[in-house]
Amino acid sequence: MAAGDYKGPAFDSSELQELKAKVINACLILDREGITDGFGHVSARIPEQAALLTIAQVSPGCAALDKLVLLDFDGNYLGGAKPAPYEWPIHACIMRARPDVMSVCHTHSKWSALFSVLKKGLRPAHMYGRFLPVGGAPIYPDAGLITSVERGNALAVTLKDGAATLLRAHGDAVVGASVEQAILRTVQLAFLGELAHLAAVHGGPDYLTEAELATFAGDRSFPARPWEYFLSRLGERRVA
Amino acid sequence: MAGDRKDVPTIDSAELKELTDKLITSCHILDHEGITDGYGHVAVRVPGAEAFITIANISPGSVTRDRLIMQDFAGNHLDGATTPPNEWPIHACILKARPEIVSVAHTHSKWSTIFSVLPVKLKPLHHYGKFLSADGPPVYEGVGLVRTIERGNDLAAALGDGPAVLMRAHGDAVVGESIEQMIERTTRLAMLGEWNHLALLHGQPKYLSAEELEVYNADQKFPLRGWEYFIDRLRRARTRME
Repeated sequence: MAAGDYKGPAFDSSELQELKAKVINACLILDREGITDGFGHVSARIPEQAALLTIAQVSPGCAALDKLVLLDFDGNYLGGAKPAPYEWPIHACIMRARPDVMSVCHTHSKWSALFSVLKKGLRPAHMYGRFLPVGGAPIYPDAGLITSVERGNALAVTLKDGAATLLRAHGDAVVGASVEQAILRTVQLAFLGELAHLAAVHGGPDYLTEAELATFAGDRSFPARPWEYFLSRLGERRVA
Repeated sequence: MAGDRKDVPTIDSAELKELTDKLITSCHILDHEGITDGYGHVAVRVPGAEAFITIANISPGSVTRDRLIMQDFAGNHLDGATTPPNEWPIHACILKARPEIVSVAHTHSKWSTIFSVLPVKLKPLHHYGKFLSADGPPVYEGVGLVRTIERGNDLAAALGDGPAVLMRAHGDAVVGESIEQMIERTTRLAMLGEWNHLALLHGQPKYLSAEELEVYNADQKFPLRGWEYFIDRLRRARTRME
């Protein structure tokens, strides 16, 4: 794909205004909720386009309108701030492989980083983990940044049709059918990690079984509720 | 004996303004990020001179411009406040032994302290640990404050050409080729210590190998990202307070 092939809304068009605010608020939420430190990024697919909006080499906690960048799935620059994040292939390769995914979060969440170097994996011990397989989130085994399409594709293979993957000695990548869902899952994955860690100190939790996980679908039904809550916790940092 | 301050700019000189501002900010960052308690200090080399500026017997979180002090590598007072930190030799001896180093932090970081007294080592299990060797930072075994040049030289020898050294039952000393890099390393060392602690409760974590650590060098590439972020956090904390 060449940069000129993009036929979607221009970076500065009013059409993208709402999505831009959503990506910024999503980044600020991950910072406010203690998930990201100086690194990580959130992306949103431009509807019906092979293109995405993310933050351009800035801490999620410092995300702002003038720090957003529009890229196509080959990493071609389509507008906004420069330079693109080094790990743009995380977003582009996952979105290309998964038409259902509208948003991707990549963080160095402490709890994901922890379980990424442990043998037993991060398994659901709470109903918040409905979006995870019973055996836990898969782990992308290669160390290092995802700065190439080859590595991005390998990560997408590890994620497969799942909602989250851990990246060994690195963090996680979490996807959603909306920005709200990707954020909710990212926050809940951290919660599940902390919970599993605390329970392990006591000898290990009684993890949920496959049948039990299937009995409810809180993940799909309620992303609007926590989104509203997370926004309220941003206070004056929230962008309109 | 007073030092020879010929050709050395003063703390308040225009040419040192940026460095001294950064030095003060770096102390406030270490405090705000929960690395320092009432103790610890940061030093910056005076460019082109055998001298450094640090904080004069005050908590990093409380430091103000009038509490900066300049000393030469023998500990002679050159400028500013008159009560040097007891452990000035940490800075003088490391800066003397390592000409490429611009800044040194000495803290009593909880996570450095815990691994300074354990048989297990603090080792990189996340790429934030890229700046460390695969077997982790060395431990300086001499217990007690580093108040003499002899002990300062021992500490510098334990540090070797590395980025950090743990100090047994005491804390750490972390160096950087800029204040920003020193801050990045000090904060990430604490993070790695916490993550090592958490992981070890589960058994043996899978550490990064020397080959894997070679894959990239986040430490060199990104010191400004953390710096910018930590300053933003300080700004927001102050806004809430005022």
